[in-house]
Amino acid sequence: MKKRFVVFYTAGVVLIFMFAAAVAVFFGAFQSSVVGSEVEEPLLPDERKALAERGAYVATAADCYACHTAPGGAPWAGGLPIETPFGIIYATNISPDKEHGIGEWTRAEFHRAMRDGVGKHGAPLYPAMPYVSYRKMTPEDVDAVYAYLMSREPMPVADKTNELTFPFNMRRLLRFWNLLNLPGDTFQARDDRSEQWNRGHYVVDALGHCGECHTPRNVMMGMKESAYLQGAVLEGMEAPDVTREGLLRMGFDAPSLAHFMQRGVSAQGGMTGDMFEVVHFSTQYMRQEDLDAMAAYLFDVDDIAAAEEPPPQPEPVEVSAEIAASARGTYLNLCSGCHGASGEGIPHVAVPMTTNITLRLEDPRNFLQTVLHGIPELDFPGVERMQPMPDFADKLDDQELADLATWMRARWGGQGSDVSPSDVENLRREAHD
Amino acid sequence: MTRATKPMSLTVNDRQVGPVAVPEGLMMQDFLHEYLNLTGARMGCGQGICHACTVVVEEEDGTLAEMRTCIVGAHWFEGRRVRTIEGIAERDTDGAVTDLSPVQQAFIEHFSFQCGYCTPGFVIGATVLLDRLQREPVSREDLEEVITEALDKHICRCTGYIRYLEAVRDVALKTPGLVTS
Ligand code: FES
Ligand code: FES
Repeated sequence: MKKRFVVFYTAGVVLIFMFAAAVAVFFGAFQSSVVGSEVEEPLLPDERKALAERGAYVATAADCYACHTAPGGAPWAGGLPIETPFGIIYATNISPDKEHGIGEWTRAEFHRAMRDGVGKHGAPLYPAMPYVSYRKMTPEDVDAVYAYLMSREPMPVADKTNELTFPFNMRRLLRFWNLLNLPGDTFQARDDRSEQWNRGHYVVDALGHCGECHTPRNVMMGMKESAYLQGAVLEGMEAPDVTREGLLRMGFDAPSLAHFMQRGVSAQGGMTGDMFEVVHFSTQYMRQEDLDAMAAYLFDVDDIAAAEEPPPQPEPVEVSAEIAASARGTYLNLCSGCHGASGEGIPHVAVPMTTNITLRLEDPRNFLQTVLHGIPELDFPGVERMQPMPDFADKLDDQELADLATWMRARWGGQGSDVSPSDVENLRREAHD
Repeated sequence: MTRATKPMSLTVNDRQVGPVAVPEGLMMQDFLHEYLNLTGARMGCGQGICHACTVVVEEEDGTLAEMRTCIVGAHWFEGRRVRTIEGIAERDTDGAVTDLSPVQQAFIEHFSFQCGYCTPGFVIGATVLLDRLQREPVSREDLEEVITEALDKHICRCTGYIRYLEAVRDVALKTPGLVTS
């Protein structure tokens, strides 16, 4: 009897403690900050002025604009809807408007938003804002972005209300999320690696926040560090593996990767979707040394010049005569007009298939999505452009498209696994969900 | 890739064509021009952009669809029913045009075109649109937008497009059942 009482008693105490701890987290008792007290001191007008120009570059490399300006909307006034599995989050106004933007934000508040994920009044931000990555930014760079944004035109545009379902509309719950997913440390340069490698690491992790898309998420929707940059599926498309192995498989060497990030088009294909926007708003403006650094880091070499040769073209894989007959006919009838009978493409019109990344990915998803839904006309940096690709959702049935995928992937991508009609069917269904 | 020929048959402007040996990968436009001497589907860009080269595909369920012939292989049309610009007007048994289609007539009345290079494509596009409106009528206030959206992809280098739009709108309004009040 007594023993039982002790068990109950202990369990009760543990529960009370757990509850108290949860309440404490909920109200922010365990928030970890990496923001130092030196930023409590406001920047002087002269300092701001001096910093703003560099801030423009940092903000570009960190791609702030892409989310904080809605298509057709006022610059920096937010409004871009970001779709999450829990509802829609709208990017906020970060122009220096005093009422709707960050005009009244102090330097310290801005630092805390960028690096701790906490808003002006202490409420947690949603991690759609990549503060987990920006946390690694140096205080100097955060100052520069602050100075730059404060030098922009104030835009009196009210923020839109997020459309999130319960319980995700309770911001405080994010404190639990932060506890598990927000790393306590900041960016650490490694002494045993070159300056270029370290800079690349900083550009990739802190500014470019590449991992936000290219690192898969864990059950908590935090970045799964054990699969760092190994690729993830976002809004139906795969953000491919951009580790050294992944990049080699796609046919890159470090210089061609740097070039791809700058131009958006290369023998490996053209950037589309979200990555097109990244090039459009951010990487095309990166300095050559930053592009090189990023490529050196991703290929894990200290000097981009020392990077290995690009891998050879994968060997074609045999497919069954039946699949080949169906696919070859489809290819000649519907694809070859632009991509060439031998997959050679037409310059400035359609990219070649022979060296295309999408055919080399293990998962056929990106290929299938592209054929089903097409690609809009894209204006790449400089004077390069590619024509729109039609959608073929109603021109090809599941079997025809599966055969086409199997054959093209085998022929040019060296992929031996057959794509099945049910793969196509699933993707079609996904688009309707 | 070797270009073998393959027999194909199809129906063009209600006329049975083939079987005829056609190289695999030959684009439909070349087939129409070189094999059937139907040169009305114009070569504009050859890249699927301008839509000067389109033809009507008469689907089995009776609906009409628009296809670009410059980027679609002839063999894709195997067994299908195709209507080119030459088959839009009514003709007598000698092949002389007796009656223009309402779309063609309206384009003339509205002075919709100048050089006329894009016109076959616009006729095809408008014909397919009117066919759709028969099944899915639109409200009066949406009409202009629907026309613009449907014909937007057709490029014309001469005119301001507005006369094409006005012509199609006129036909849509005059034809019973296409526009709900
Ligand atoms: S010629 Fe076919 S779309 Fe321009
Ligand atoms: S009338 Fe000349 S291109 Fe349209």
